[in-house]
Amino acid sequence: MIVEVKNLVKRYGDLVAVDDLDLEVMEGEIFGLLGPNGSGKTTAINCILSLLKFDNGEIKVFGKPMSPEAYDIKKDIGIVMQEVAVFNELTVYENIDYFCGLYITDKSERKKLVEEAIAFVGLGDFKKFYPKKLSGGLLRRLNIACGISHKPKLIILDEPTVAVDPQSRNKILEGIVELNKNGATVIYTSHYMEEVEQICSRIMILDNGKVIATGTKEELKEMISLGEKITLQVFEMEDTHMNFFKTMENAVSVDYDGKFLVMKFQKGNSNLEQVLDYVKSHKINFGKIHTEMPTLNDVFLEITGKELRD
Amino acid sequence: MFYHIFKYRLKVLLRSKEMIFWTLLFPIALSIFFNLAFSGLRNQDSFNIINIAFVDNANDPNFSEAINSVSEGEDRIFNMIRTDLENAEKLLENDEISGIIVSDENITLTVNSSGINQSIIKSFIDQYKQVTSTATRILSQNPQAAADLPAEIATRISYTKSDPMGKSELDIVLNYFYALIAMTCFYGGFFGVEEINQIQANLSKRAARVNVAPIHKLKSFIYSLSASALIQLIEITVFLTFLIFVLGVKFGENMGLVILTTFIGSLTGISFGSFIGAVVKGNENTKTGVLIGVTMIGSFLSGMMFGEMKYIVQTNAPILSYLNPINLLGDAFYSLYIYDTYNRYYTNIAGLLVFTIIFSISTYLIIRRRKYASI
Amino acid sequence: MPVFKLCLKIFKKNIPVMMIYFGLFIAVSIMMITMSTPTDQTGFSVSKARVAFFSEENTPLVEGLKTSLAENADFIDIEDDQEILQDSLYYRKINYVLRIPQNFTADFMTGADPKVIKTSIPGSTSNVYVDLKIESYLNTARMYLDLIPGISQEKIKSQVLSDMAEETEVEMLRRDSSGSETGLMQYFFNYLAYTFMFIIIMGVSVIMLVFNDPIIKQRNSCSPFSTTKINLQIFLSILLFTFFSWIVLAGLSLTFAIDEIPNFNTKYYVLNSLIFALTSSALSYLIASLVKGREAMIAIANVVTLGSSFISGVFIPQDLLSEGVLKIASFLPTYWFVRGNRMISMLMEKSGPVFDEMVSSMLIQLGFAFGFFILTMIVSKKKRSV
Repeated sequence: MIVEVKNLVKRYGDLVAVDDLDLEVMEGEIFGLLGPNGSGKTTAINCILSLLKFDNGEIKVFGKPMSPEAYDIKKDIGIVMQEVAVFNELTVYENIDYFCGLYITDKSERKKLVEEAIAFVGLGDFKKFYPKKLSGGLLRRLNIACGISHKPKLIILDEPTVAVDPQSRNKILEGIVELNKNGATVIYTSHYMEEVEQICSRIMILDNGKVIATGTKEELKEMISLGEKITLQVFEMEDTHMNFFKTMENAVSVDYDGKFLVMKFQKGNSNLEQVLDYVKSHKINFGKIHTEMPTLNDVFLEITGKELRD
Repeated sequence: MFYHIFKYRLKVLLRSKEMIFWTLLFPIALSIFFNLAFSGLRNQDSFNIINIAFVDNANDPNFSEAINSVSEGEDRIFNMIRTDLENAEKLLENDEISGIIVSDENITLTVNSSGINQSIIKSFIDQYKQVTSTATRILSQNPQAAADLPAEIATRISYTKSDPMGKSELDIVLNYFYALIAMTCFYGGFFGVEEINQIQANLSKRAARVNVAPIHKLKSFIYSLSASALIQLIEITVFLTFLIFVLGVKFGENMGLVILTTFIGSLTGISFGSFIGAVVKGNENTKTGVLIGVTMIGSFLSGMMFGEMKYIVQTNAPILSYLNPINLLGDAFYSLYIYDTYNRYYTNIAGLLVFTIIFSISTYLIIRRRKYASI
Repeated sequence: MPVFKLCLKIFKKNIPVMMIYFGLFIAVSIMMITMSTPTDQTGFSVSKARVAFFSEENTPLVEGLKTSLAENADFIDIEDDQEILQDSLYYRKINYVLRIPQNFTADFMTGADPKVIKTSIPGSTSNVYVDLKIESYLNTARMYLDLIPGISQEKIKSQVLSDMAEETEVEMLRRDSSGSETGLMQYFFNYLAYTFMFIIIMGVSVIMLVFNDPIIKQRNSCSPFSTTKINLQIFLSILLFTFFSWIVLAGLSLTFAIDEIPNFNTKYYVLNSLIFALTSSALSYLIASLVKGREAMIAIANVVTLGSSFISGVFIPQDLLSEGVLKIASFLPTYWFVRGNRMISMLMEKSGPVFDEMVSSMLIQLGFAFGFFILTMIVSKKKRSV
């Protein structure tokens, strides 16, 4: 077990930022912490890093209790903070070298590692640039390079893609997967469900400091009753047809806006088949047909009654 | 590790223009303004030979001789022009002379305003008249003295002996520069504020980032503080050199102690900045605002804007002059320059060290905390 | 007028910072009131040196010395402590320390030419002044001693003192023409130069920083307003801000010197400060178009205002500045503002050389304002073409 958190409670006055959190991260996984802004993701991370005092709980990293003085633990952790934390007075190369140097004392080894990190995030052309001259996406990449250059066993990334252009975002996500392939365990927090779905092997959903659900994305989706959503482009819809769809066994809701028929179903295997059969047999003239499986947003929506992103 | 942190800290600080401006360029600029503005003040009460006009209508050879004797040679008091009344009045009106001595049957003085130069001219004429009166009186009491009288009158014995107190010439402008260099030392507090900002995870993201690295917090603080201290010491040395060699500010003979004093002052300044960084709540702008504000008030009370202020505080509220570290520092320079003894200097230095220790311990008590209630 | 409204909002946001400087102005002004002791002088009066007098013996001869010295000296009661005396000398609380050693009188009476011990500020005028008096008293005493055999100490004293009562008649050629020169209003208005310039530079640069931001510039150039219109609105808001600050500062200066408001020259002080206000805002406009970044702006504002105030006679009277410095200063509008104030303080009537000098000082300031404005135009034209 790489990280083990038990009964973590962190209060700010009356506000309970993290409420009895249990968390386990296994070696080799990409663990996603998903939740809206203010759900307690960053607070939990800061507690794990021993930056914050907490009111209750126990935290172990690499099987050993975590504390500010646990330097043997800290040296194997790489951290990429939510906000960019680099020196404006240092160039790209110098920034990475500075942070790497806090972990690696050997100069020639460090030189190699820094070059690797630069190549890894694709900042090779910007080595001599000062952070002020970098675009938002490049700056984020620099921030990541500063966190991972020393090849840590555990990498914690706290919303590394906020306000990043799609190109940089893909590059970052691919990079994280690659780091994981090279043997690092990753904790990844985000409020973008697509990202978490795309790269995380296991996901924990947080809301108001509480754990709502934990599991692989398949497991999470199993938890809810919602099945697929079928959208059908039809140009005319008679009431009898509407009634049929509404009375289908798994149907949750059926809406028609004059163009599209949107049907939501509970879990069941033959929903699409039944719809298609009916449409064909009644010679209903239809255009496109489109079906979607539930997303993590649906999971979040069903459990908390609100959208993940407001 | 020390070298790594130290090296990068130096790079960061040296590239931060704002920092270098406030800690070095601004004091240099101020010192240049001081020098330009005070050059006149410096000469304000030094004795300049007084320009007078002499209108000799009576042709009194005695007075003529008397006035010549003080208008000639190196030690002369007057630059005297013999002229007619009309021209003399024109000169007086144009402020080219301080007074007109008119010798008729009576000797009179005409001036434009009251002042010490005018008073000196008057004293001179008074004296001449007094000698006449004395001679008359002596002759009436002892007619036989007539033979010796002229020689007696001509003999002027000096009855005063100068006992210069201290070693220097009491240049009143110097205190402005002493207060300025004290201010500069305390502007080293900018470094202190910045260092605290770089190590307290609840103050900056970079500090949080460094806090999770496998290095002792206090150690990394001290490593990077050393870089700050080095820059401050170099800057203050540059400033001191500038003051001494470019502006010609005098610091007395004991250069070793002067340098030591600037170094101690710089350390007090840095620890003062750290203290403010640690104690004052708010963002960096608020902290530097407090730093500048407190330093300016302290400098004001030690006479940086108005020279006499230091003396006023010292005589009316002496406790305040001990509680003001900037005054202690300025006064240390002053003591080195003025006094023969080192008592007051040592008192000042001791006071500075006490302040440095108080600031450092308070800072330590705050930053030794390694976990934060909130970030 | 959306741009104009935005400008006012930005000013509003910066009020707290401005308040600090207004506060500073008030503090310094109050200090000036408490410090200044207006000297009313009519006719000639003898200057007096401040002397600390310590005597180790008390004889008629010494008493006589003290009496005769009293005419040209104020005796300052002070503790006989080396450090205290040195401090007092340094700060010119005393000009002269005079010590009469023991046996001075006895030695003097036997013709041994003893010496009194003096400590003074070397090379100072008061040094010469007090020396003159002491030497005169003792030399006269010596003449009596040498030439009248067997004369008593008491007699020497009384005769020397009566000799020294002989005084020269002093005529004043003309009365000091400026009855109000000792007034404080001049100083308040002078000091206004510092505060005013700083506030205006900061205020204007705050606005210009916002509008010179390249992105906002592009955005603005896409808006339905023409550049001229936008600039006009900015300029209008700057003028309003200038005017507002001027009302506050000139108002404060007048309040502090409330007794002097009925004076004939008050209106000229106000006029001069208004002209200076215009010049400052033109200068700020120029600085703002040259300098980028808030930090740099604060640095420039500090150096420009402090520098020009120091060498133009805001803090230290122009009489005390050396000619070279004043020559440099004459390239700054602040110099002409201060000079204008000085002329105004001497002003008695609406014509004559003083009045002309005042007018020319004002015109020169306006010339500066015009020059700054033209320069700003040239600079911004150049920038646009790059």
